[in-house]
Amino acid sequence: MEYKIVERSAPGREKVEVLGETYEEGKPDSEDLGRWRQKLTSREEKLKYLQTGERYLYGKDWYGSEKRKNPA
Amino acid sequence: MVEKENKSIDQATNEMIEKAASDGCSVVFDRAESMKPCPIGSVGSCCQNCSMGPCRVPLTKGKEETPEAKKKRRGVCGATAETIAARYFARMVASGTAAHSDHARKVTETFLAVARGEAPGYQIKDEQKLLQLALDLGVEISERSNEEIAIDIGEIAMKEFGRQEGEILFLKRAPLKRQELWRKQGVTPRGIDREVVEIMHRTHMGVDQEYKSLLKQAVRTSLADGWGGSMIATELQDVMFGTPAPVLGRINLGILREDEVNLIIHGHEPQLAEMLAVVAQDPQIVEYAISKGAKGINLAGMCCTANEILMRHGIPLAGNFLQQELAIVTGVLDAIVVDVQCIMQGLADVAQCYHTKVITTDSRARIEGAMHIEFDEHNAAEIARDIIRTAIDNFPNRSGSIRVPKQETDLIAGFSHETINYLMGGLFRASYRPLNDNIINGRIRGVAGVVGCNNARVTHDSAHVAMVKELIKNDVLVLQTGCSAMACAKAGLMVPEAAAEYAGEGLASVCEAIGIPPVLHLGSCVDNARILVAATMMVKDGGLGDDVSDLPVAGAAPEWMSEKAISIGQYFVGSGIFTVFGVNWPTLGSKGVTDFLFKDFEEMYGGMWAFEADPIKAAQLMIEHIDKKRKALGIDKARDRILYDMEARRELDAA
Ligand code: SF4
Repeated sequence: MEYKIVERSAPGREKVEVLGETYEEGKPDSEDLGRWRQKLTSREEKLKYLQTGERYLYGKDWYGSEKRKNPA
Repeated sequence: MVEKENKSIDQATNEMIEKAASDGCSVVFDRAESMKPCPIGSVGSCCQNCSMGPCRVPLTKGKEETPEAKKKRRGVCGATAETIAARYFARMVASGTAAHSDHARKVTETFLAVARGEAPGYQIKDEQKLLQLALDLGVEISERSNEEIAIDIGEIAMKEFGRQEGEILFLKRAPLKRQELWRKQGVTPRGIDREVVEIMHRTHMGVDQEYKSLLKQAVRTSLADGWGGSMIATELQDVMFGTPAPVLGRINLGILREDEVNLIIHGHEPQLAEMLAVVAQDPQIVEYAISKGAKGINLAGMCCTANEILMRHGIPLAGNFLQQELAIVTGVLDAIVVDVQCIMQGLADVAQCYHTKVITTDSRARIEGAMHIEFDEHNAAEIARDIIRTAIDNFPNRSGSIRVPKQETDLIAGFSHETINYLMGGLFRASYRPLNDNIINGRIRGVAGVVGCNNARVTHDSAHVAMVKELIKNDVLVLQTGCSAMACAKAGLMVPEAAAEYAGEGLASVCEAIGIPPVLHLGSCVDNARILVAATMMVKDGGLGDDVSDLPVAGAAPEWMSEKAISIGQYFVGSGIFTVFGVNWPTLGSKGVTDFLFKDFEEMYGGMWAFEADPIKAAQLMIEHIDKKRKALGIDKARDRILYDMEARRELDAA
C-alpha cells in the first residue's frame, strides 16, 4: 500500500506535510465489493499483516489474553 | 375442508413439489410420506453389528423402565441398550469424520499437484493464506517460491491423515486451556484416519462394551474432524481458490433460466466446480451454447459445492439439500453434475421423468443409471469442457413440461474468519475487539452457530428460519454454514437490511455500524472449522474468559440428517460449545448414554448436547445457555458505557 502525504494548515503555523488517509475513498462497488486481500501485494506486506492483523497467532510483540499469563 | 399442509416454507419448493406430482414424478417428499422412520433404529436401539442379529432392544413406551426390564434389554451377545446406542452414535461420528476427511485428502492431493505444476489451470491464488499455513506448520518461508512452500505444506498436511502418534497439528490453534483439557481427558487426536479406524474396531462385535469409553473415542474422533480434516480442507481450498470475502449472490430455483443452458454442480468438493466456473465463461464454449439455440450458459450450485463457488465467484445457488430433485422438476435443467456427499440416488429416477442428464464425476460416488465422466485434477479444464458440452448438447432435448419458479433472493456470503477480523478494524487494526466489546456491553448478547442439513421429516427450511429469527431478535449474532445458511438466505436474512427488520436493537446497531447482516454466511460444512477459529479468536482477544467454553456462544443443527452433522456437533461440544439438535436424537433408546452426552459432558468438556425438536424452544435453550455464560463472566448486567461531556465532568470533579 502506498502512503499519501498531504498538506494541511495548522493554526499559527505554516502549511505542514502530514500522512494522509490510509482508508480508501468512497464505497466499493461492483467487482471490488468486499475484496480486501488483494490490497496487500508484496510478501512482506502480507507477512506484516499476519503479524499485526492476526497478532494473537503470529505476532511477536502482541499478546492475546492467554499469552500474557502463559507465554507460548 | 382441511388445509393442505405445505412441505416447505419456501414457495418455489412447494410449487415444484406440486409440479412433480402433476408430472407423475415421485420426489423425496413423497418417499418420506410412504416410508416412515423405524422407531427402534432411529433412537439407537437396533444393532446390526453381527449376524446373530440384528438385535432390537426397544424401550417400553410410556412407562418408567424398571431395573428388571432394563436387564432384559440386551442383544444376543449380551450387549446392553447403552452399548448398542453408544456404538451407533460413535459410528455416526466416524462416518462423518471420514467424509470430511476424505474430502480433505482429495483436496490435499489436488493441492500437491498444483504445487508441483501437475494440475494445469489451477494456481495458488491466496499467497497470504499460504504464508499463514507456513507459519502454522513451521514451513520455512524466506525467499522460497510459493510452489516450494506449498509442496512442504501439502506433504505435512497429507501426513496428518496417516499420523500414528503425537497430536494433529492444527490443535495448536485452539485456546491453550482447551488444549490442556483435551490432554487431561485423553481425547487429543493422534491422527485423522487412526481415530476413525479405532472407532470401527471398538464398535466391532465384542470389543469396547463400556458406553463412556466408546463416547470418549467419539469425542477424540470428532476433534480429528473439526481441527483436522475439515480444517485442512478449508485452509487448502482457501490457498488454491482464495479466502472468501463478502460477495453478493442470489439463491433459489428462480435463478434457473429458460433460455440458457442450465448446469448445476452439486456435492461438496470444489475442485471441479472451480474449473467449471472458469470454463463456462470461455467465449468458445458460450458460442457453442448459442449455436444450439441457447442465450448462454447458466452455471449454478447446490448444497456445499454451491457454497464454495458462491463465496469465491458469486455463482448463484439453486437451493439446498431438499431442492436437488426439484431443480430437475423445473424441466430446464440440462445437466446436474455431482461430486461427493448428500447426493440422493433419487436424482437418477427423477431425471427419467425429464431430459436432465445426471453426471457423476468421482469414482467414490457412482450412481446407477447416471452418466459418468471421471474428474481428474491433472486434466481438469478438458474434463470441465466435456461436461459443459454434454449439458449444451442436451439443451435441445427439453420436452414440454417446463416451469421455473420466480423466487430468487439476494444474499451476501463469504464471511471467513479473516474477513470478519478485517471488517472489524481494517488493514491496520484488524481485530475481534469490537465484537468482544459489544458482547461485554450487551449490545450483542452472544454468538450462535446454526448449521446443518435439511430433513424430509421436518417442514423444509422451517426450523432453520424460525430458530435464527428468534436468535437475532434476542441480539444473538448468528454464524451459518451449509444448507442451514441457504435456508436463511432464501428467507432474506443474509442482507444488511435484515438487521433493521429482524434483529434486536443492540445487534441491529452493531450490524449497521459495521455494515454486515445479522446472519453471516461462513461457507460449506467443512467450513464449520471457520467457526472454531472465530470462537478461538474471541477467546484470544480477551475479556470473555480463557476458553471456548467460557464464551456466551451456542451451536445448533435444527434440521440435521447426515452423519457429518453428528460429527460436527460432537466437535462443537468437544470444543466447549453447547449444541442443540432438532428432528430426533439417535441415542434416546438409552437414558444412560443420553444423560452422559447431555449432562456429564458439560462437566468434562464444558460443552454438552441437547435435543429439542421445536426450533423456538431450542433457540430459547441456546439463549439461556448464553445468559448463563454471561452471568459467569460477570457481564450479565453490562450496560453501555456513559460518555461524559465537559459539563458532566465538571460536576463529577465538584462532587
Ligand atoms: S453385536 Fe450383539 S447386539 Fe449386535 S447384532 Fe450381534 S449379537 Fe446382536
